[in-house]
Amino acid sequence: MSALQTHTDTIAPPPPAPAQPQLEARGITKRYGSRLVLDRASLSVAAGESVAIIGENGAGKSTLMRICAGLIRPDGGEVEVLGRVGYCPQQPGLFDLLSADEHLELLAPALGMRREAALRQGHELLAEFAFPVAERTQTRHLSGGARQKVNLALALLGGPTVLLLDEPYQGFDHGAYVSFWEHVARWTSLGMGVVVVTHLLADRDLVDRVVELRIPQLDAPPTP
Amino acid sequence: MRWRRILVPAVMTGRELARRGLALGLLTALPLAFYGASADHSDNAITTGGIAMAFSIAGASIFVAMTARPVDQRLILAGYRPWELLLGRLLLLELFGVLVAGIFSVVMVFGSSPSDPWLVAGGVGLVSLSSVPFGLAVGEIAPHELEGVLVLIGVVGVQLTLDSSQAASRLLPFWGAARLMDRAGNVVSTIGPAVPVDLLYAVALFVLAIYIMHRRSPAAAARPAA
Repeated sequence: MSALQTHTDTIAPPPPAPAQPQLEARGITKRYGSRLVLDRASLSVAAGESVAIIGENGAGKSTLMRICAGLIRPDGGEVEVLGRVGYCPQQPGLFDLLSADEHLELLAPALGMRREAALRQGHELLAEFAFPVAERTQTRHLSGGARQKVNLALALLGGPTVLLLDEPYQGFDHGAYVSFWEHVARWTSLGMGVVVVTHLLADRDLVDRVVELRIPQLDAPPTP
Repeated sequence: MRWRRILVPAVMTGRELARRGLALGLLTALPLAFYGASADHSDNAITTGGIAMAFSIAGASIFVAMTARPVDQRLILAGYRPWELLLGRLLLLELFGVLVAGIFSVVMVFGSSPSDPWLVAGGVGLVSLSSVPFGLAVGEIAPHELEGVLVLIGVVGVQLTLDSSQAASRLLPFWGAARLMDRAGNVVSTIGPAVPVDLLYAVALFVLAIYIMHRRSPAAAARPAA
């Protein structure tokens, strides 16, 4: 038996080396005043991997995402990113008086893209989510789901290596929700690392890995 | 292509501002009403109208900064530098300020027949120049629009109340402009370092606005640009 095992070990291809994390957050601690929101939380996502972050309200899911995106500074711990992060916030960060196209135009120089290329790629992304591309409406007149589609397309513009999605399907109808997960599968097949904050139990079966955040138990006094 | 990173935010700010026509009209009418109410009985009417113009331009700047705040983090994450976004907005808002200052200069020169119309235009121009960085800085610092507007009313109100000869007046961002307009209305005899003081104040406020925006998205702002 053991000889067979040895033989099998010899002829079997070497196990795949663990993919290098596209994003790795280690020992993240964050306080808001005296309230401890994150206590040495960790998160990593490799190329082509999808990870769901779950946890109760107030467990620090959005805070961890914002720290990973570089939008807020943690009180402790570190974040390493390979490549560029695309971040889709829970509340769509949009100018109410600008259209979807104008948002694409605005992001183009920041991403090093020409205006035409940003519009073309943005329209492709929006069309994938069944957003009416010909729409020139200011975003304040869009439905919640349509605003969220713009939000998602802006996060994907320029092809980020890691995608951080904070409850990205709020306001989506059932069809858009199903389509969203088909897109996640496609993005990971293209080598993108995808992290999704979710409250839906069914989502756990749709990702490669689940990370659960818990509310830190002790409200210790703030560190001086 | 660096210029596109300044020009495009400026253009989008312009489009957003243009779609707030009613609000801009009201903001401009308010200081004109200040001037109109004091034009025929006060020696300080020019200074009052000119300084009150800060309500229009700084008010517009505060609204621009406040509405952009939730989007700015996304823009910085995508690769914009805080100074690029703010410089683009500054340039567009200064253009708006020049337009408003032109209207005010014409109205006050014809309404009050000052001895030196160029001093009026200079003073109003200086208000316009200082108002934008003041509004952008307040828009970055204040937690909400209400607090921002209260700071604006407070600072401009105190500047209007104080005589430009008082020491406390020199601590406020529109002292130099008030001095120029007081001179135009023969309220004071000398200008002193009015222009450089206001310019220095404006630069300091602009740098402060950049610093606050940078602090709001620390890691994203430090990443190399695309």
